[in-house]
Amino acid sequence: MLSPFAILFLVFSVYPVLSSLRLSFMRYNAICNPDQSPCGSVGFGNYTTLIFQDDRFHKALSNTALYVIGAVILGMIASLSLALALQEDTRANRILRVIFFLPSVTSGIAVVLVWGWVFRGDAVGLLNAILNLVGVEPIEWLATTWMAIPILIFMSMWGGAGFGMILFLAGLNSIPAMYYEAAVIDGAGPRQRFRYITLPLLRPVMVYVGITGTIGAFQIFEGVYLLFPTSVGSIGGLQDMALMIVPYLYDAGFNKFRLGYASAIAWILFAIIFVVSMINLRITRSLEDLK
Amino acid sequence: MSTVLTKSEVKRNDKLMERSGSFTNPFERKSRVSKFRRVPIYLLTVVMIAPYYWMITSSLKSVKELQVVPPTLFPKKIIWGNYFDSNFNPTMFQQDVMQGLFQRYPDLKFGFFRFMMNSFFVNISITISTLIIGSLAAYVVSKHRFKGKKAVYLVIIGSMMIPWQVGLIPGFLLMDQFGWLNTFWAYIVPALPKAFIVFFLTQYLTSIPDELVEAARIDGASEFTIYFRVILPLLKPALIAMMIFTAIGEWNNFLWPLIITTSQDMATLPVALANLRNSGAGNIGTQGVIMGASLITSIPTIALYFATQKHFIRGIALSGLK
Repeated sequence: MLSPFAILFLVFSVYPVLSSLRLSFMRYNAICNPDQSPCGSVGFGNYTTLIFQDDRFHKALSNTALYVIGAVILGMIASLSLALALQEDTRANRILRVIFFLPSVTSGIAVVLVWGWVFRGDAVGLLNAILNLVGVEPIEWLATTWMAIPILIFMSMWGGAGFGMILFLAGLNSIPAMYYEAAVIDGAGPRQRFRYITLPLLRPVMVYVGITGTIGAFQIFEGVYLLFPTSVGSIGGLQDMALMIVPYLYDAGFNKFRLGYASAIAWILFAIIFVVSMINLRITRSLEDLK
Repeated sequence: MSTVLTKSEVKRNDKLMERSGSFTNPFERKSRVSKFRRVPIYLLTVVMIAPYYWMITSSLKSVKELQVVPPTLFPKKIIWGNYFDSNFNPTMFQQDVMQGLFQRYPDLKFGFFRFMMNSFFVNISITISTLIIGSLAAYVVSKHRFKGKKAVYLVIIGSMMIPWQVGLIPGFLLMDQFGWLNTFWAYIVPALPKAFIVFFLTQYLTSIPDELVEAARIDGASEFTIYFRVILPLLKPALIAMMIFTAIGEWNNFLWPLIITTSQDMATLPVALANLRNSGAGNIGTQGVIMGASLITSIPTIALYFATQKHFIRGIALSGLK
């Protein structure tokens, strides 16, 4: 009874991972014989090129780092604020919660296409049309290099804050009211109650939201793919302003057919996510030890 | 962050939730600003709804109205041309065809409906099969004793830590070797072994006493009878939660469908949507069609969410917390 899962798991989950590790030490383009020149083993060549020489990859790394930091921290603040604002169980709040959660179940592509219209550079772009009411000339949102990351962060907050909110609401509701009652009797104000009861008791939820949010943010693809194409058959936008790790992996693998190189990118992505998750866990654990 | 809640813990939590929730101190005076305190949240609500509103209204505007500067907030006249254009002429060049979502794929049997059918077929197949396979595996891992069981379970859990993109390239090559590119096999089969489902269901089952299974075994029930009569009914709430998550996740999947389909007729809705946008990119007149297609892509998951809201929220709380 375990065998259907076991066989599928071995073939489609375990084998690709191992095979990808092997590929990451090779030069391969899907057509050549993997044992003959120009293909074949390159040792750590793919990794050293990526880490020491590939400027596009460095750009992808720094973009992703900025994006992840912004999206996770701002997203967490937004989620927690929403949960606090909509905590009371009233009819209006129940409706608002549903509205804020809707993006989590909506197709990412459909949403990105609407944002594409919002941030259009000409006068038909929605944001430009709104700004025009106060006399601002049309701005090329998607072609201004420093704006790419903030726009993507905004999109991720719009799409993800509701999900975090639900998790925080569950966390808030599991804090027994008697803690607050006791605090009030001891003379604690609302700010103190938040600082000394709500925040510490929400820490497990914060860790969970933080780690899952970080992992998700590292894997951003759709927004970059659709909103920031370069020329034909490339990805990343003007001066690679929105190039990130997974879009670069796609670019290397499926536009340029450097499959070994793309596999090496995938393993670096794994290494980064692994290390960041471990640091996250370690920090929270040491914070708990402090108490 | 540890494991899933047991049933009794969930019940206790539910009781706790009733007793707790938000707390207001009856002795503190309400501040004077409280009337306007909720203004920001309503402004944000507008930002949340705006994209949906824009999808709906733009898909009902004429090409001429779409080109107006500044864009109109309400359609001056509601037209259905973006979905079905009575003046549609298939001999026109692709970029001249502005409207008629359901007519613009003349080479394709069923036109745009084909993508919807692809999406539904792929989605339903994956959701049902993965739950059956996953629950069978979870039953074995949680209620059977065999050598190496711990190791098997560890590998399954460990695989969840690896981002799925790591296997993307070999997965693609594998599909190529099997000759599965541009087939439903490539959509469905690799999506079936889901480690998270096995992990989640196993956690759920370990909280159920072994005696239930053993009693059935002593009564002479076969393994499959136990699975169908004992395990499946017990797993029902967990299965419903997993069903909803899987269905929504697979519906919105993009990167994998993008690389395994090159022929148009095998695209699912998200891929068809991206292709549609790339074919008419930049031309504001085609935005009506694109918004219509986006709306059609978004509706099924939103409908599923509305239909299963209670299970949905409970499912998140079950799988995510504590």
